[in-house]
Amino acid sequence: MRLSDPIELEALRAVLAQGPAPVRRLWVCGGPGCLAAGAGRVQEALQAAAGEMGLAASVEYRTDLTGCLGLCERGPLVGVEPEGFLYGRVGPGDAMELVAETLLAGRLVGRLAADPDLPAGSDQPFYRPQTRLVMRRFGRVRPDSLEDYLASGGYAALGLALAGLSPGEVSRRVEESGLRGRGGGGFPAGRKWASCREAKGPAKYVVANGDEGDPGAFMNRSLMEGDPFSIIEGLTLGAYAIGAGKGFIYVRHEYPLSVERLGLAIGEAVSRGLLGPDILGSGFSLDLETVEGGGAFVCGESTSLMASIEGREGQPRVKYVRSTEKGLWDCPTLLQNVETWANVPPIVERGPDWFRSLGSDRNPGTKVFSLVGQVRRSGLVEMPLGSPIRAIVKDVGGGARPGRRLKAVQTGGPSGGCLPDGALDLPLDFDSLTAAGAIMGSGGLIVMDDLSCMVDVARYFTGFLMGESCGKCAPCREGLVLIHRILDGLCRGHGRRGDAAELSRLADMLSRTALCGLGQSAANPLLSTLRHFGEEYREHEEEGFCRSGRCQGLFQPLIDPEACTGCGASQKVCPAGAVRGAGKKPREVDAAGCVSCGACLQACRFGAAKAVPRPGRG
Amino acid sequence: MGKDTKKVSGTIDGRETSVPRGSILLRAALDLGIGVPTLCHHPGLPPDGNCRLCSAETGGRLVASCLYPLRDDGFVVQTRSPLVVEARRFVLGLLLSRAPADGYLLGLAGEYGAKADPRLADGADGCVRCGRCLRACRAAGSEAIALVGRGWGRKVAGPFYEPPIDCVGCLACAQACPTGAIAFSEEPRSIWGRDFGLARCGSCGAILGTPGELARSGVEVTLCPSCRRREYSRAVASLPPAQS
Repeated sequence: MRLSDPIELEALRAVLAQGPAPVRRLWVCGGPGCLAAGAGRVQEALQAAAGEMGLAASVEYRTDLTGCLGLCERGPLVGVEPEGFLYGRVGPGDAMELVAETLLAGRLVGRLAADPDLPAGSDQPFYRPQTRLVMRRFGRVRPDSLEDYLASGGYAALGLALAGLSPGEVSRRVEESGLRGRGGGGFPAGRKWASCREAKGPAKYVVANGDEGDPGAFMNRSLMEGDPFSIIEGLTLGAYAIGAGKGFIYVRHEYPLSVERLGLAIGEAVSRGLLGPDILGSGFSLDLETVEGGGAFVCGESTSLMASIEGREGQPRVKYVRSTEKGLWDCPTLLQNVETWANVPPIVERGPDWFRSLGSDRNPGTKVFSLVGQVRRSGLVEMPLGSPIRAIVKDVGGGARPGRRLKAVQTGGPSGGCLPDGALDLPLDFDSLTAAGAIMGSGGLIVMDDLSCMVDVARYFTGFLMGESCGKCAPCREGLVLIHRILDGLCRGHGRRGDAAELSRLADMLSRTALCGLGQSAANPLLSTLRHFGEEYREHEEEGFCRSGRCQGLFQPLIDPEACTGCGASQKVCPAGAVRGAGKKPREVDAAGCVSCGACLQACRFGAAKAVPRPGRG
Repeated sequence: MGKDTKKVSGTIDGRETSVPRGSILLRAALDLGIGVPTLCHHPGLPPDGNCRLCSAETGGRLVASCLYPLRDDGFVVQTRSPLVVEARRFVLGLLLSRAPADGYLLGLAGEYGAKADPRLADGADGCVRCGRCLRACRAAGSEAIALVGRGWGRKVAGPFYEPPIDCVGCLACAQACPTGAIAFSEEPRSIWGRDFGLARCGSCGAILGTPGELARSGVEVTLCPSCRRREYSRAVASLPPAQS
């Protein structure tokens, strides 16, 4: 049924919000990680088990897929409402027990608790420091249900705007909220809105960038799959504010579920009169469509993204005029990351002051991070901006794994930077990270421990960017290859005197001369590791030594007999049979037989195996 | 939007100048007699800004002068600051690694103290990937070739790396190439792995072009320009005198 005005929308929202709430719900996490781990089958099994027990027709119990529950590493996750239990590593075989014990009786199945050391529920340390704003519907609604979206406060902002806020007022709220672009640069969103509002053109466009391509990042994906309507409502408000009649959501085709959910959500919204022609009888229309990218990393860059939407090669253009003046087809275009768009509805509804009460002064609001790497608990995390990095890594993530020491936190994806553990007290916001040589980026957080070699890390990210460079401008196309080859030489023990100095010069020049944002930031991993971990470069270059035991042939493992517990783990993994010893006695490495692969270092959970220089090198 | 006729003033290398708002920096510099090295730029083709050789410094950052519009009064541009010189040395070193024998690049490299890096020697195929050839091809009316692939592996080629079917053999690409990297033969005509017949002047036998090239022009041509002039002169001379 089409809603013909904001009053009808309010009435429907009121009915849905008051609808009979199920007594208990099992929410199966439908985030990317859990789906990959088999959450779909778990949900089917729960459904079947409930059916077998004669509950299928009952409205009091439900088992549904929902957005990402966050603790991805322990997936497939199942959350329980209202008790707040969180189960992890749930398999289809656990369905009967979950239905019988939890769904029917409300009892905790202890063996399935997501974090066995901790009380089950949302008071877990993983969740306690978090503030879920963008992710507030994850675990509470079915992502593909417009009714759930409406019942949970969705479209309140659009209803409010169309019932009586002028486009200028909607824009003003975003301007005064201090919202900054969540895609990486942290550019003040309000400045874009104002400039796009004032710009003149035959047409105007709104665009959502969902071309997330950073290795290890899945926050945009989780949002598009977990709460697609929030992005659509944000875009609709933006189009209303600037006077756009057409919009695009650009999603990489490697995210088929995102494309599907967004497409379904657009269709739902249109059929309800919340999108398309004459929205809520206001006379304002917005035609929205998804565009699938071909998977080129550079298409996350704004000018390349727009070229791709226009049907041209996904390559950046030299632009000294902003997209808000000349964007898609040279018309004023308001392009923002999907997460930025998802922040818009609550800002418009609740006002800039409310938004400014979250986060810090110059960095209001929250940010979604994908916390991955060598940390005890990894997953999708939403924190108020300005929280110390420590709060995320130590409190939420639980710190380094047993026997390991935290070494670095890499922020901002491949073009981000590596910060040393000494920087853990830095507030996680756009300005502090930039000042420290890293970037916020779209919110990737990779935690590395003492077994990560920072030269190797720089090589990895440089290699990724080298492969993704479109090759249009010379500095990025050729320069990244040169940098990568020098780094590769260092990691293989072919380093030459002066390599680090040369890398530093090349990185500086690459950042200054490259054509687009990708090239200009491509040297960040190198620059930040040079800045914070210069000693490791010196050791690789001058001594042929990798202290992290990562670069094969550049170290010799040594087992500390004091620390060794004789567990035999290193012996088991050694491919060369070079770890000697038996029983509970400390192990020893036979230097002559060792191939310097580092497997023993990785295997030791007690920090007893260390990398030392090989004799005769340096 | 009408043409912007407002003028903006500023300095380029300390020299005062006043130009129409939105003028391109490279043009403004050249008008002052300030030489700026270029490579991917060609005065007859749309600018692309990919070689970064024409970088100039303004407001502490580098911009590509072939595309940078002078929009604000009081601009201050340096085309030879230490930063610019260092940037050019960097870019020249990279470009030279692709075309180590190119005379123009070698000349600039001498001037800026740049050297090709031996670690990139395996990329030296003479082509600097500036795309002047494809812009020339497009300007001449075809789109037979493109820069294919990405990053280090990007190269100029026809569709599927095959001899390009849309090529008419006009050689505009080879003429636009700054490093002479495109192999071709004028007569008999061949380029991009394809051979072309040649249409000749019906009178003197001079080359008029390939049939495809002539067809693309849309005008039927049978004589070369000088023979055509001669034929016209004869025709005019044989006309009866005008009656007054």
